[in-house]
Amino acid sequence: MSLLEIKGLTTEFKTSQGIVKAIRGIDYTLEKGEILGIVGESGSGKSVGMLSLMGLLAENGSVVEGTINFDGEDITPSGLDTKKKKRAYEARMRAIRGNDIGMIFQDPMSFLNPIITIGKQMTEGILCHEKISKKQAEKRAVELMNMVGIPSPESRLKQYPYEFSGGMRQRIIIAIALACNPKLIIADEPTTALDVTVQAQILELIKNLTKKTETGVIMITHDLGVVASMCDRISIMYGGNIMEEGTTDEIFYEPKHPYTKGLLNSISNNEGDKKEPLKPIPGTPPDLLKLKKGCPFTARCSEAMEICQDYNPLKTEFTKSHKCNCWLYCKDRYKEVLEGEEAHE
Amino acid sequence: MNEKPLLELNNLSKIFPVKGGKKVHAVNNVSLTLNKGETLGIVGESGCGKSTMGRTILKIYEPTSGQILFHGEDITKLSRKQMLPYRKKMQMIFQDPYASLNPRFTIGDIIEEPMIIHKIGTPEERKAKVQDLIETVGLKPDHIRRYPHEFSGGQRQRIGIARTLTLQPDFIVCDEPISALDVSIQAQIINLLEKIQRETGISYLFIAHDLGMVHHISHKIGVMYLGNLVEYGSSDDIYKSPLHPYTKALISAAPIPDPNQSRAKSRIILEGEVPSPLNPPPGCAFAGRCAYATEECRREKPEMVDFEGRKVACFLYKAGKKVK
Repeated sequence: MSLLEIKGLTTEFKTSQGIVKAIRGIDYTLEKGEILGIVGESGSGKSVGMLSLMGLLAENGSVVEGTINFDGEDITPSGLDTKKKKRAYEARMRAIRGNDIGMIFQDPMSFLNPIITIGKQMTEGILCHEKISKKQAEKRAVELMNMVGIPSPESRLKQYPYEFSGGMRQRIIIAIALACNPKLIIADEPTTALDVTVQAQILELIKNLTKKTETGVIMITHDLGVVASMCDRISIMYGGNIMEEGTTDEIFYEPKHPYTKGLLNSISNNEGDKKEPLKPIPGTPPDLLKLKKGCPFTARCSEAMEICQDYNPLKTEFTKSHKCNCWLYCKDRYKEVLEGEEAHE
Repeated sequence: MNEKPLLELNNLSKIFPVKGGKKVHAVNNVSLTLNKGETLGIVGESGCGKSTMGRTILKIYEPTSGQILFHGEDITKLSRKQMLPYRKKMQMIFQDPYASLNPRFTIGDIIEEPMIIHKIGTPEERKAKVQDLIETVGLKPDHIRRYPHEFSGGQRQRIGIARTLTLQPDFIVCDEPISALDVSIQAQIINLLEKIQRETGISYLFIAHDLGMVHHISHKIGVMYLGNLVEYGSSDDIYKSPLHPYTKALISAAPIPDPNQSRAKSRIILEGEVPSPLNPPPGCAFAGRCAYATEECRREKPEMVDFEGRKVACFLYKAGKKVK
């Protein structure tokens, strides 16, 4: 059984300008010890998917469809119509967050509380989830700091976040995420705020630690370079949909979806003739408020057809791991959609 | 070519005094040249002084020592008033397209403002110019009456570019113009900057930390570390066969968007982080993280030497030949 299985997840936000469907029926699976990269531009829904999974959506957001299955347990935050159900869900999620699922956030500068010592912030989660003494928790914190490569951890425990550099803070955050030996780590743009040489250190660290502990990792990023070097599999998101998913090699060497191809073309290829101009994707990402039915990429797609505007494409399987949602590969199946719609009416 | 370079920096330094009588050497004895119609890329990690250098060249910051020659004329000591005619010729594109446009101005106002300040043209001529520029940067004519909040990041960056072009400058400092944009939009902006360069022969100082993009757009690249220029040469030389250990590490650390190359590549993972510019080490600034560092490196600062057609500041390379 997979560590994580998300099926048909749809999340909406109620705003003053109407309902925003931030993600529209996405599927993910993740095995133990696997690193899955989720790539997308801002507003593609890559973070919202993870917040839905963690039960950390803002007040106005809710999961309206789909199921989330984590380690054999259904943790879908839907049907919470009574206060009792809501409370039970919250309690369950509090026990899972930081314990079974660890999180690494983007900005190491704002994640840590500036007026609490590093030691206290590191032991907080451990003390909350495990019945051990403060002394033991501190010992554990020291081990963790050794593991993530922070020199002289005993004295560092008493220091405050401002005494740490950006890279060191990110190491602390990774240590906190690993504190309770989680089964799954969600890393939301973990290196975007860091310099290149420090980024290389942190990525190497996440990769080595998770392989050693068999932790599954979901890595959310917009940097194709990062996923190429880190991930086993990749999902490409756009406008709240998964456009294509496959192993890292399948995505980079046999991209199927026009958006994936466009993304790969728009980064500079320094090995070839460098004076060849870049091939950007024209237009801008869609406004989710105005997004209607059909494939969200239609307006920018060079291969768009009439059907793309009206109907969401079906999933085509190329290999067991490589799937793509695009009408180019399922033209002959449009009847299925039409019939399905008629039956619906 | 006996033509004077567009921009020449001779031992430019910028020191900021801070509390307690200490000094931050943000830019340290940097010498560079930029030719007409070329792009000079400046790379380095945060705090290496690349933005400060860009701003000092435009005299937004007063240089502490050294010389800035623009079209062969020394502009280092000019007062604000004396600078005014030069300002027209040198412009800047900022990193954050959300903070660099006045939210209460329409797009038309924003693009027209530089011409009003410099008293250029009649109102009609100015309006025509604005129309013209809007199209050059790929926006629609009816965008003129809209406000910045109605635009996406990429579109705002286009507005910023249109604004810098109003006065027909010879030189633009682009301070991380694409790092706040989405991947698919970055390429659009780079292509736009390149198109403008082909059409007008403008020169760019392109400051960024994304080496791949800098290599793509630049003719020459300067690598900075803690306020010092450590290597300077043609874009291909620097990218394909870096000399300075720091340049090597920087290029090796940049993730390549190609899984096979990424697996094949042996990474140099640098230990530690950039030291504080408040207490720079006495010798080579990079000595603390360098695998080749010797006693000499920790004691003395390496001079910039010519080596195989480029300049490098490292004791491994002594004028013309590699040591060891």
